[in-house]
Amino acid sequence: MMDRIKRFFEQCWLYYKGNNAHLSLEDLIFYRISIPLLTLIYYCFIAKNSFRTEQLTQWVIGNSLLLCNNSCVFTIGASFEGERSYGRLKWLIASPYSRIATVIQKGLFYIFESIATVIMSITFGSLLFGVDFSNVNIALFILILIVGILAAICFGLFISVFSLLFDSINLILNLVHVLMLILCGANFPIKDLPQAAKFISYCLPFKRSIKAANMLFDDVSKSHLLSLLGQEMCVGIAYLTISVILFKIIEKVAIRKATLEIF
Amino acid sequence: MKNIVSIILGTMKIQMKNSLIRPMYRFCLFVNPISNTILLYYMFRNSQMSDFMTYVIVGAGLSSLWECICFSSIGDINRERWYGTLPIIFCAPAGFNLIILGKIIGNTVLSLASLGLSALTAMILFRANIQIANVLGLIIALLLAVCTFVVISQVFAYLLTLSRKTTLYMNCLSIPIALVCGFVIPVELLPKWILPLSYSLPMTWVVKLIRGSFDKYFTVKENLLCVMISLFEILVFTIVFRLLYRIIERQIKIKASLELM
Repeated sequence: MMDRIKRFFEQCWLYYKGNNAHLSLEDLIFYRISIPLLTLIYYCFIAKNSFRTEQLTQWVIGNSLLLCNNSCVFTIGASFEGERSYGRLKWLIASPYSRIATVIQKGLFYIFESIATVIMSITFGSLLFGVDFSNVNIALFILILIVGILAAICFGLFISVFSLLFDSINLILNLVHVLMLILCGANFPIKDLPQAAKFISYCLPFKRSIKAANMLFDDVSKSHLLSLLGQEMCVGIAYLTISVILFKIIEKVAIRKATLEIF
Repeated sequence: MKNIVSIILGTMKIQMKNSLIRPMYRFCLFVNPISNTILLYYMFRNSQMSDFMTYVIVGAGLSSLWECICFSSIGDINRERWYGTLPIIFCAPAGFNLIILGKIIGNTVLSLASLGLSALTAMILFRANIQIANVLGLIIALLLAVCTFVVISQVFAYLLTLSRKTTLYMNCLSIPIALVCGFVIPVELLPKWILPLSYSLPMTWVVKLIRGSFDKYFTVKENLLCVMISLFEILVFTIVFRLLYRIIERQIKIKASLELM
């Protein structure tokens, strides 16, 4: 049993290391620090002008959480596409290793990376735009952060399965990112959106985490906050379950038709 | 002269076809203007600005146009390198500069569609009533926009041939330029220490011109000032680009490193 757990973590680390091995220090600074921070500044400045406010707390929080999309959605979403180009996809399917473990191990270390991104962005945003954390329950804030990131990673895993069906996963990922930017409530209230858009918004991760995180800076209704966290966890679990089921179905189809690497 | 025009037109045609085949370019050209318009509309709708739709359309259109340029024109030389066609283009009797110019003009003209698409999205989804206060001003502004984006793309494209990390820098250029040049918000709202950089880029003045053509209070004097400054800066960037090209060409010939730069 211990050997299996050890192997699971080794695979998690190997996958994360493999995905980042090609990055130099310059790449890391630009991709992991500069671009996220510039994105945050960009949306905060737009909000400052459009909402005519100096109180940019909700934009700093919302956009900092959305910055996790880079690792939670983009990197994990493209993981099976990566396996295909490395030539490892057929070995993954042929191996007797658990499918759930295969899917989960792709996302484990990105949880830590995402937490680091959010903390860095919020710290920077707070210094630049004066977000006051003095009355905020930090433990609760971190809990919200972790739940939101877990849900987003499960969502990323769900998207990644589609790369077994389509060859334009980057297009799908960019579309998803744009949808999240509009529908997660990071930049404007969701109540302004039409009914159909609101429904899609309910199916996306981060929507509730952003709302819960913003609540901490205002009046905290504990029951409402817990309900939001519960809903966010349910969204994550639903995406994880669907991605595992989808993975199994697509795997069977691919084995039967011998089309795993052919579209 | 006829030959030059035919080379540019031929390259433009091929470039437009090649760009439209790439899914990422199609995303930047068709999806970005629509999504940016929606996002900016919901952000600006409660701003109590009487001309907020101008900010939405111009902001969404120009940001999308710049993204198209970032992910296409600026990376074109590098793309040719990966296709293995860079040495052929470099040695072609038509002239390397002329071919690259044709490619960049093709991309820029095609990318202008994002401005139209933004306006169309605003009209269909949000029933925007677009009133152009100065039609001639808008035509001049759009012509200057094409010239500006072509010159800036050439400078960045040649600069990026010096690095193999084109994708990284393309990603890094997208947001800062949109912010510094005031595509979405007036540059005057940015911190004062950024303003010298903003005003030294011709895009800033072209954006002012485009926005001004929708504003009936934008005076002829302001119009002329923006045109003169943008023309001067386009000239400066053209000189910079010519010098840059000479340096790069010399380096390529000395080191024989066209595909290794």
